[in-house]
Amino acid sequence: MLREEELKTFVEGTTNYFEVAAQQPATIGSPYLMEGAPQVHDYTGIISISGKREGVVYFTAPRAMLTVLLMKMQENDFSHETMRDLVGEVANTISGNARRDFGRDFVISVPSVLAGEKPEVPQKPGQRSFIIPINWRSHSAKLVVSLT
Amino acid sequence: MNVAGADRNRRLITAGAGTALALVMGLALLAGFRLATQIRSSITALQTASELQTYPGVLTQQLTALRQRLETREYTGQAHAELAGTVGRFNGDIRQLATRGKLQSAQLQEAVQMWQAYRPVLAPILAFSGEPYVDTDAGSSLSESGKLYYGNVRQAQLLAKQNVGRLHRLLSAVTRSLEAQTSGAAARLRALLSGGVLAAFVLAAAAAYLQLTRIRHERAAREAQEQTRDILKTVREGFFLLDADYKIGSVWSEALTHIFDRSDFAGLSFEKLLENRVPPNTLATAMKYIKLLWGDRAHENLMKSINPLGQLEISMDNGRGGKETRYLQFDFHRVLGPKGVKHVLCSVSDITSNVLLAKELQEAQENANAQVDMMVGMMHVDPLQLGSFLDTTQTGLQLINAILKEPARTDAEFRKKLGGLFRELHSIKGEASALNLMSIAQRVHRLEDMVSELKKKAELSGNDFLPMVLKLDELLAHLRGVREMATRLTALKDSATSGADAPRSSAAERPGGRSGEDLTPTMQALAEKLGRDHRKAFRLTLSGLANVPAPYVATVKDCLIQMLRNSAVHGIEPCEARRALAKSDVGAVRVDFRRSGDGYELVFEDDGAGISPQALKDAAVRKSIITAEEAASMDTRSAMALIFRPGFSTQEEVTMDAGRGVGMDVVARTVYGLGGKIGVSTNPGRFTRFKIVLPAAEAASSAVA
Amino acid sequence: MSVGQVNGAGGRRSLKLLIVDDSNIMRRRIERSQQFEELEVVGTAGNGIEALEMFHKTDPDMVTMDLTMPQMDGIECISKLVQLKPAVRILVISALADKATAVEAMERGANGFLNKPFTDRQLNEAIAELMS
Repeated sequence: MLREEELKTFVEGTTNYFEVAAQQPATIGSPYLMEGAPQVHDYTGIISISGKREGVVYFTAPRAMLTVLLMKMQENDFSHETMRDLVGEVANTISGNARRDFGRDFVISVPSVLAGEKPEVPQKPGQRSFIIPINWRSHSAKLVVSLT
Repeated sequence: MNVAGADRNRRLITAGAGTALALVMGLALLAGFRLATQIRSSITALQTASELQTYPGVLTQQLTALRQRLETREYTGQAHAELAGTVGRFNGDIRQLATRGKLQSAQLQEAVQMWQAYRPVLAPILAFSGEPYVDTDAGSSLSESGKLYYGNVRQAQLLAKQNVGRLHRLLSAVTRSLEAQTSGAAARLRALLSGGVLAAFVLAAAAAYLQLTRIRHERAAREAQEQTRDILKTVREGFFLLDADYKIGSVWSEALTHIFDRSDFAGLSFEKLLENRVPPNTLATAMKYIKLLWGDRAHENLMKSINPLGQLEISMDNGRGGKETRYLQFDFHRVLGPKGVKHVLCSVSDITSNVLLAKELQEAQENANAQVDMMVGMMHVDPLQLGSFLDTTQTGLQLINAILKEPARTDAEFRKKLGGLFRELHSIKGEASALNLMSIAQRVHRLEDMVSELKKKAELSGNDFLPMVLKLDELLAHLRGVREMATRLTALKDSATSGADAPRSSAAERPGGRSGEDLTPTMQALAEKLGRDHRKAFRLTLSGLANVPAPYVATVKDCLIQMLRNSAVHGIEPCEARRALAKSDVGAVRVDFRRSGDGYELVFEDDGAGISPQALKDAAVRKSIITAEEAASMDTRSAMALIFRPGFSTQEEVTMDAGRGVGMDVVARTVYGLGGKIGVSTNPGRFTRFKIVLPAAEAASSAVA
Repeated sequence: MSVGQVNGAGGRRSLKLLIVDDSNIMRRRIERSQQFEELEVVGTAGNGIEALEMFHKTDPDMVTMDLTMPQMDGIECISKLVQLKPAVRILVISALADKATAVEAMERGANGFLNKPFTDRQLNEAIAELMS
C-alpha cells in the first residue's frame, strides 16, 4: 500500500516547483481515485518507478497553464518544444524529490514527455491511481500517482 | 593546541632570559677584569710616582752631603755611590712613569724636561772615579781632578737646590693625579660590579618568575587534559579526529567502543572502521566524501548538505554469531590549520532506536492495513446479502470519490464536501455493522473519524484530504479482497451442498418479480448483534419485509438499520430498569412494511423509554444546533423534529452504532429524497414510533433516475 | 565578498560561463537569472557530447552542469572537462537530490551543487560561492 509520506513527497515535489520557479505556490485540490482510463491534458511529464514500488507517476497540464507558467518564468518562447521541456522539468523535480526521500528503495527512470491528442499513458490493469489536482492561479493540472 | 603554543613561547622566554643572564655576567666580568688590570698598573705607577717625589729632596741632600764631605776632605766614596744609586733609580722610575705609566700629564712632561736638565750636570759627577784628594803635609787637599769634581758637585748641588721645590711639586701633582685616576677606576669597578649584581638579580628573578608561570601553565594544561579525558570518557557521542591519511587519531571518546564494539581506534583507517559493515558502494561513497573534506573545493555548508552518512545502516555482530543492524549518524567538521585542513572532527551517534521506532510505527500501520480479519464474520453472512452489500458499498464509495473529485480551492469548497462524505460513510458503516462485517465497519469508522477531525479544523486544504484518499483506496482494496473471498466461499458452499437443497429464493426469482431481496435475515442478524453489544434484551418482530419493492430495498434497509440502532442504544432500557417500570424483561421492537394507498408505509416501533422533548431540546442547545431562546419557545412537535436535524445525537459517547448524530438525518434525507414523509410519535416511558410513508415504487424509480 | 574580489583584482575581467542542460528553459533561465557582470555566457549545450564540443570551442572558466542528460550524462562529462582543464569550476544543477549523486559529482571534480528547482537567489549564491 502506498504510504502517506510517499504521496506527500510526490505532491511536494510538484507544488514546490511552482513555488520556486514561478514564485507563486500551487495548492492541491482534494485528491481522488482514478476511475476508468487515464485522462491527460495537453502535456504530460512521466517517470516510471521500480523497486519497492512499481508503476508510474506523471504530471499532466493543459497548454494554457504551462503558457502562464512560462510567462511567470520570464520565458517568451511558447513553442511545443518548450512546453515539453517544462513538463519534463516538473517530472524531473518530482523524481529528484523521490530519490532524496526513498533513494534506497526506489529505482526511478529519467523523465519522458507525452504530448498530443491521445497519448498512451502506461497503466497496469487493476492498478489504482491517485489523482491530485494541482491548482495554480486559475488553472488546474493533475499529478497522477499510480504505484503498487 | 593553544595551550601547547603558549607553553612553547614560555619555554623560549625562559631560555632567553638564562642566555641573557650569562651574557650580562660575562660582559660584566670582562669589563671588571680590564678595569682591575688598569687599576693594578695605576697602583704600580702610583707607587713609583710617590717614591719619585722624594727623589729631588734626597738628591739635593746627597749632593749637599757630597759637597760638604769634599769641603771637609772626608771620605766621599759612600756618598758618591748613594748618589749614583739615586740618580739611576730616578732616571729609571721617571722613564718608566713617562713611557709605561700611560700617564699623559703636563706636569710629568715638565718634570721629565727638568730631569733632562739635571742629566748633563750629573753625568760628569757620576763619571768621576779616582781619588779626589792628595795627601800633603799640611793635610789633605783636593787633587786636580778632585777640584773639577767638586766644582761639578757644587754646580749640581746648586741646580738641585734651586729646582728641588719645583720638581717636588711637579712630581707630587703627578702622584695626586695618579691617585685620582686609580680611585676613579676603583669607583668604576665598584659601580660595574654593583650593576652586574643587580642585573643578575633582575634576570634571575625574571627567570624564576617565568619558570613559576610555566609550572602553573603546565598544571593548567594538565588539568585541561584531564578534563578533556573526562569529557571523552563520558560523552555519549563518539568523537574522533581523522588525519590526512583518513586514520583515526589517538584521542577519541569512550562511546566509540560501544558503538563499534572495539577499542583499537588509534591509527585505524576510516575505511577499515566501516569495512564489511556497509555495502561496498556505500563505503565507496563514504570514502569519496571523506576525501572531499580535505579538498578546498567545497564549502562547509555544501559539504554538510551532501553528507551521505547522516543515517548510515551498518551491520554488526550481535555477539551470538548473528548480525544486527544499527543506524549511525555521522557528522564531520573540518579543523583548519595554517596550511588548510588539518584534521576532520567526526562525531558519531547511534540513532538505531529512533530509526527503529519510526520503522516500527510504519510497519504496525502497514500490518493493521493488511489485516484481513473478516473470514469468520463472512462465513455467517448470506452470500447474496454480501453481494448486495458489496454492490451498494461500491456505489457508495464511487459517490464518495465523486464528492472528492468535485473541484475545490477554497476552505468553503473543501468544507462543503465533508457533510456528504460523512453521510455516505455513515450509511456504509451502518450496513457493514448490520452484516457483522467488522473489518469493513472499522475501516469506514476510521474514515468517518477523519472527516470529523477535518470538520474541527480551521482552514481546510487539499493536503488534508490526502490521508483520506489513501484510506479510501485501502478500503476499496479490502472490499476487492472480500469480494474475492466471498466468491470462493460461495463456490465452496455450493460444492458442499451440491444442489441437494432447493436454492434459496433470490430476489430475481421471487414471484411477482417486483420485490427486492428479503431484509428479514439482515435485520435479525443486526438485532442479535446490537443486543449482544449493548446488553439489551429485545425481540424483533418483522412483517412484510419480503415485499419491499426492489427500488426501495436500499432505503428501507438504511432506515431500519438506523432506527434499530437507535432503539438498541437509546430506546430499550436495561432489564432492571424495565422491571422497575413493570415492563416485561424483554423489549419488543416491531417493524411492519405494507402497501398503503398508492404507496407504502413503514412503521417502526419499540416499547422503550421514548423520547423526552426536553432532553432533545437540551441536547440541541448543548450542541449549538439551536439557541436557548429558540429552545424555550419551541413546542413539542418542533422539539421532536430536532431528531431529524443534521449533527444531532443525544448519546455523548461516540460508538460504532450510534451517537454519530447523523443517523436519523440520513434516514430523513433519504425519505425526503424519494418524495416520502417521516414522522415520529412518542410517549416517554412507553414507546417510540417512526412512521415512514413512501410513494409508489414507479414514482420512486423515476425520481432516482 | 567573492564577487568583490574578482572585480577588484581583475577590474572588468570577464569570466566565461558554459551552461549545460538538456532543457532549453533551464538554459535560458540560468543565463537570464545570473546577475554577475563579470560573467559572460559563451555557450550552452544540451548534452555531454555538445558540452565537450563547446568546451573546446569556448574554453570557459565556469560550467553549470545538469546530470541527467541524453548522450553522455553530467557525471561523465565532469570527469572529461576536469581532465581537459583542471582549473575549470563546475556547478552541478540537478534535480537529483540524493547524497550519493552529489558526492559522486564532487568527487569527479565539481565545485558546487544546486538542487532543482531553485530560486534566482539560490542560483546567484551558488555561483558566488563558486567564484570565491
